[in-house]
Amino acid sequence: MSRYGSVRMEGVVKRHGSFTALHGMDLSIRPGEFFALLGPSGSGKTTTLRILAGLEEVNEGRVWLDDADVTHQEPGERDVAMVFQSYALYPHMTVAENIAFPLKMIGTPRAEIDAAVKEAAAKVNIAHLLERKPGQLSGGQQQRCALARAIVRKPRLFLLDEPLSNLDAKLRIETRAELRRLQRALGVTAVYVTHDQEEAMTIADRVAVFMEGRLVQTGTPKDIFMKPATVAVAGFIGTPPMNLLDATVSGGQVHVNGTPVAPAAVREGEVVLGVRPGDLRLAPAGLPARVDFVEDLGDSLVVHLDAGGQRAKLKTEPNGAAPAEGQPVHLAFAPESAHLFDRASGERL
Amino acid sequence: MNGRNKALRHAALWAVALLLLAVWAFPVLWGLLTSFKTERDVLAYPPKVFFTPTLDNYREVISGGSSILPNLWSSLVVSGWATFLTMLFAVPAAYALARLRYPGKRASGFYVLATQMLPPVGLIIPFYLVLQKIGGLDSYSGLTAIYLTFSLPFAVWLMVSYFEDIPYEMEEAALLDRAGRLRTLWYVILPQVRGGIAVTTIFVFLNAWNEFLFAVVLGGNKVRPVTVAMYNFISLEQTQWARLAAGAMLAMAPVILIGLFAQRHIVKGLTVGAVKGGGRR
Repeated sequence: MSRYGSVRMEGVVKRHGSFTALHGMDLSIRPGEFFALLGPSGSGKTTTLRILAGLEEVNEGRVWLDDADVTHQEPGERDVAMVFQSYALYPHMTVAENIAFPLKMIGTPRAEIDAAVKEAAAKVNIAHLLERKPGQLSGGQQQRCALARAIVRKPRLFLLDEPLSNLDAKLRIETRAELRRLQRALGVTAVYVTHDQEEAMTIADRVAVFMEGRLVQTGTPKDIFMKPATVAVAGFIGTPPMNLLDATVSGGQVHVNGTPVAPAAVREGEVVLGVRPGDLRLAPAGLPARVDFVEDLGDSLVVHLDAGGQRAKLKTEPNGAAPAEGQPVHLAFAPESAHLFDRASGERL
Repeated sequence: MNGRNKALRHAALWAVALLLLAVWAFPVLWGLLTSFKTERDVLAYPPKVFFTPTLDNYREVISGGSSILPNLWSSLVVSGWATFLTMLFAVPAAYALARLRYPGKRASGFYVLATQMLPPVGLIIPFYLVLQKIGGLDSYSGLTAIYLTFSLPFAVWLMVSYFEDIPYEMEEAALLDRAGRLRTLWYVILPQVRGGIAVTTIFVFLNAWNEFLFAVVLGGNKVRPVTVAMYNFISLEQTQWARLAAGAMLAMAPVILIGLFAQRHIVKGLTVGAVKGGGRR
């Protein structure tokens, strides 16, 4: 792990007119970390990235890079590189000229530029395309060109704004792994914006989950998957995401639609019960429900259920015993796989 | 079936193209023929298509008593300066309008266009009075300044759409690459609007070259562009059609040459936004 490239944001507030994009955010990223900013669109993740880049001014708060306050520094003064969602390649320049541009701007000698361009292009496997214009490249090749332009001057911070969203599904998964390998090899801190929770979970060392302009949870993918901090995070993470059922706690038991389903060690009142589709199973007794329909995904079955007006999904192995549509069933789950959230605040209990 | 359809479509397109060409070309070709006729042949009825051509008209309008060479020079000076100054100011102004955020931006964008909505005739008298006050009547600087009043808004308005076609990310990428605002403009933005600059330059030049109304009122003996000089062939006693035609051919030559050279750019410029994808509006 490199020693450079740490990030700290404290109390960052960003407003666009009357709309508040970020409500006082604190964030800290360790050197060499692959850090994902995850959230639905409009949650403030891209704004956060642009603030790091210096492309957006903050209204309040401070931003630190390697213990230097960069809050009011220009983008060019921060030694950060960014890969844009649209790649933002310069269409009138060749691939080689595109990659060389950041070095040319800081007055690097010609010979050094040539060597660095070749090296960067080789790292992302586009060394044979150097004389082409961006318009003559495929989407994947353009993306690599944008990557090469970002890594060529060895920045201390590498910012990626949904870099895979314009690629097709297969290429996206391949490139995801390559990106991870590249970041490891360079040892550079990477901040990665995505709305795809699977992408964030597979690629990142740590993930920050954004909801409606607030950072609601930071942690390793496993932390976030196992212990979502709020109902909103729980409903966002996982494929399919967690089932969220309105429930009440009384007499040490969680009741859904009046049926006791699990023991609870929290105070009595209205709660939201979260159970991952994979943790739910069909049982002889338990929460009564009716099968809506069944999705066969090949390697798994997703059973859509109606439990007294509340929707739920159950994910299971495709072992032939698929319930029929309309069939009444009972649902059960291990007590330790239950997640309880306060109904009013949405906070984990 | 498919091949026949295609051939039919082709034939139809050709027919339409030839028709349009004929409508456009007829007066020009007629003018060209007229310019080689004697005044007698011009007035012959029915009109003569076959006649003995003469170069007398060209000799007259080039080196004769009614030579239009000084007028061509006048036109060139006024149009050249007007074009140069227009582009010098229009390019940065359009960039600012397209990109920078400043108070009153929307309003200033509107005012740029609003000046185009006034009928030129309504401006002649005020312009005349102003130029008279500052001694700018019948002077190159006076007429050039007046041309700027309509060519500058037009050029700014045209250039803005070219700048707006460039995605913001392109500039942001350059800023992150430490280019700074000026070098971003020079290395990243301007090369991408080269086509737009070419088209705008041509349109501005053509507008100035073809301008008549202001030239005839605000010019004089010293500054008399070719459009005004042409008018001298029409007098109360007679109209010298053949000489007029020869003069018109000479005046049209640079315009047609520019058009031929810049054809590719002009077509691209007229369809800006229609065929270029990916730009943010």
